[in-house]
Amino acid sequence: MNPQRESAPPASSRAAHPARAWLRGRSEVFVGLLVIGVGAFLGAQTMAMHVPDTSTGPGPQLFPGLVSGLMLVLGALLIVQVAREPAVPPTDADPDAESAGIVGELVEGREARRTATHSDWRTVGLVLGAVVAFTLLLQPLGWLLSGALLFFGVSTAFGGRRSLFEAAVALVYSAVVQLAFVAGLGLNLPSGILGGVL
Amino acid sequence: MDTLVLLGGGFASALTPENLLWAFVGVVLGTAVGVLPGLGSAMAVALLLPVTFKLDPTGAFIMFTAVYYGGLFGDSTTSILMNTPGNSSAIATAIEGHRMALRGKASQALATSAIGAFLGAVVSTAVVAFFSGVIIDIALRFGPAEYFALAVFAFVATSAVVAQSMVRGLIALSLGLAIAMVGIDAQSGAARFTLGVPSLFEGIGIVTVTVGLLALGEVLHVASRIHRERDDAQLVRTGGTLWLKRGDLRRAVPAWLRGLGFGLPFGTIPAGGSEIPTFLAYGTERKLSQLRARRGRRPDEFGKGAIEGVAAPEAAASATAGTAMGALLGLGLPTSATAAIMLAAFQQYGMQPGPLLFERNADLVWALLASLFVGSVMLLILNLPFAPLWAKLLLIPKRYLYAGITGFAVLGVYASSYSVTDLWLLILLGLLGFMMRRYAIPVAPVLIAVILGPLAETELRRGLAIGQGDVGVMFTGPITLGIYAVILLAVGIVVVARMRAARRADAPSDRTTSPTA
Repeated sequence: MNPQRESAPPASSRAAHPARAWLRGRSEVFVGLLVIGVGAFLGAQTMAMHVPDTSTGPGPQLFPGLVSGLMLVLGALLIVQVAREPAVPPTDADPDAESAGIVGELVEGREARRTATHSDWRTVGLVLGAVVAFTLLLQPLGWLLSGALLFFGVSTAFGGRRSLFEAAVALVYSAVVQLAFVAGLGLNLPSGILGGVL
Repeated sequence: MDTLVLLGGGFASALTPENLLWAFVGVVLGTAVGVLPGLGSAMAVALLLPVTFKLDPTGAFIMFTAVYYGGLFGDSTTSILMNTPGNSSAIATAIEGHRMALRGKASQALATSAIGAFLGAVVSTAVVAFFSGVIIDIALRFGPAEYFALAVFAFVATSAVVAQSMVRGLIALSLGLAIAMVGIDAQSGAARFTLGVPSLFEGIGIVTVTVGLLALGEVLHVASRIHRERDDAQLVRTGGTLWLKRGDLRRAVPAWLRGLGFGLPFGTIPAGGSEIPTFLAYGTERKLSQLRARRGRRPDEFGKGAIEGVAAPEAAASATAGTAMGALLGLGLPTSATAAIMLAAFQQYGMQPGPLLFERNADLVWALLASLFVGSVMLLILNLPFAPLWAKLLLIPKRYLYAGITGFAVLGVYASSYSVTDLWLLILLGLLGFMMRRYAIPVAPVLIAVILGPLAETELRRGLAIGQGDVGVMFTGPITLGIYAVILLAVGIVVVARMRAARRADAPSDRTTSPTA
C-alpha cells in the first residue's frame, strides 16, 4: 500500500527515465490502480462467495457486485483524468485555493487545481514504525511502556532532539493516560511485564 | 405548547451538576479541537466514543454535541488572529476576519464571530425543538424506497456535489461502501470479504475507520510535510473593548440573519458539513456590499476587513449544527462527518435515531436539546473574552501535539474492542487516510458511506423483496420521486457550473481574480 513512493525522488535529479518523467505529477495513477485492484478483489470475492441458500429475494451479492463495478469504472476514470491533466508544481501564490472546492468556483469564479506535493518519507516512516512497534509490543510490554515508546517515537520523528527530556515527557504522558483512563474511566489496558508492580 | 413542557423537562435534566459538567467538558474539548488546525470535532467524538462506553448515554451525548458545537465556535479564533483556519468551516471567515484584525479591529471581529456562532447555534436548536413534530411526521411516512432514496441523496451530495472532483468523491464513497460490507451479512448469514479472519466477522468498527482516516491519517500527512510548512503565522494582538459599536451592530445584525438563512436549510442536507453555506453566505455579503457601493450608500469594504464577511459565515456555520442534529435525531440522517459518528454512537448504545427515538428516549432527546442551549451560552462565555487565550493553543510544540494524538488514536481503537487486529486495521486505514489527503480525495464521503451503506443495502434488498424483483418499487411515492428530482437537479447544476468554470479556465485572461487571503 505504498503507491506514492514513485514520486519521491526530487525533481532536481537528472531527467532519468522517460517513464519517471511521465509519472511526475501523475503519481496518482497508482491510486487509480489501487481502486481497480480493490474493485477486482471485491468482484472476485463476490463471485466466489458462499451464500446460504435460505435467503430469498436479492441476496448478499447484489450490493457488493454494484460497488465492485463502480470501483472498476471510477479507477479507470481517475487514471484517464490524471494522465490527461497532471498535477501542477506547488506555488505559494494562492494557498487557500485548493480548499475552496466547488463553492470556490461558484462564488469566487476561481478553479481549484491540484498541486503536486513533495513528501518527507523519513518522518512518515518513523511515525509508522513507532505505531507498528506499539502494536507489536502492547501486549507483552503493557500500555505504560509501549505507550511511552510510541509517544517518544512520534515526538522524535517530529524533530525532538533532547532524547532524555522527550523520554521523560513520554513516560509522564503514558502514566497520566494510565491513571485517567484505567483508574478513572475503568478501561482495561494491558499491564504487560509491569503487571506485578502496578 | 407541548414542546415547552418537554423542553422544560429537558432543562431540568440538563441543569443537573453532572450533565452541566459533561457539557462543560464537551465545549472545552470542542473549542480546543476547533482552534487547532487539522483537528476537528468528528475526530474528537470518534476518540471519545470508546472511552465513554461506561458513561450514562445522556451525559455522553451531551458531551458529544457540545464538542460538535464547540468545534464551530473555536475554528474562527485562529482564522481571525492568525489567518490559520482551524477547520474548513472557518476559511470563509478568515478572508475578512484576518483583515479586520490587521486593521486593529481584532476584538470586534472575534466578538462578531462569537455572537454570530451563538445566534446560529441557538436559533437552529430552537428551530429543531419546535419543529421536531413536523420532522417526525415526515419521517413516519418513510418506507424502504424513501430511506434508500435518502441514503442515495446523502451519497451523491457528499461525494459528487460537494467534493472538488466528482471522480475522487465517488472513489471515496465506494471505498466507504466497501469497508461497510466487510463482515457477516445480517440478512443471509454469508461471510463477506472477511478472508476467514474471525475478528472481521463483526465488520470494521466505525471508531477504527474514523480514527484511522482522520487522526492517524492527519498525523502521517503532517509528518510528510514537516519540513515544508511555513511556520510564520503571527498572532495579531487584541486590545480595546469587546463591545460592538452601534454602527457595527447595524451592519452585523442583518448579516447574521442572512447567514442563518443559509445555514439552517444546509444543516439538513448531507453536504458533508458547514463549508458550503459559509462560502455562499460570504459570497452573498460581498455581492450585497458591491451593490450598496454602486448605489453610493457605503463604500465596499470587502478586501479591507468588512464586518459582514465575518458575521454571515459564522452564523451560517453554526446554524448548520443545530439543524444537522435535527436531521440526525428525527430522520436518522447524518449530514456531516460528526453527525455520522454520533449516529454510530447511538447504535453503540442500542438506540436508533429516527421518529421512534422521540418516543422511546424522549428524556434523552429533550435533555440533549436543552443542553445545546446551555452549551451555546457556555461557548459564548468561553469564546468571547478568552479567544486570544485559545489561540495560544497553537504554541503547543507540534511534536507533543501529534505524539499525543497518536497515543489517543491507538488507545481509542484498542479500547473499543480490546483487539490487536484492530490496531493493524488502524495502521492500514491511517495509510489510506494519508493517501487520500495527499491526493485530495475527500474523507467525509467514506464516513457517510460506512454509516449509511448498511442502511442503504438493507432498504434496497427489503424494497426489492417486497416488489419481488421489480426495480420500479424503488421509484414510487411522492417523497421518493421528490428526493431523486433534487439529486438530479443538484448534479445538473454542478455539472453546468463545472463546465462553465472549465471554459473560463481555458480563456487565458483572468485566472487570479480571487483575493489571496
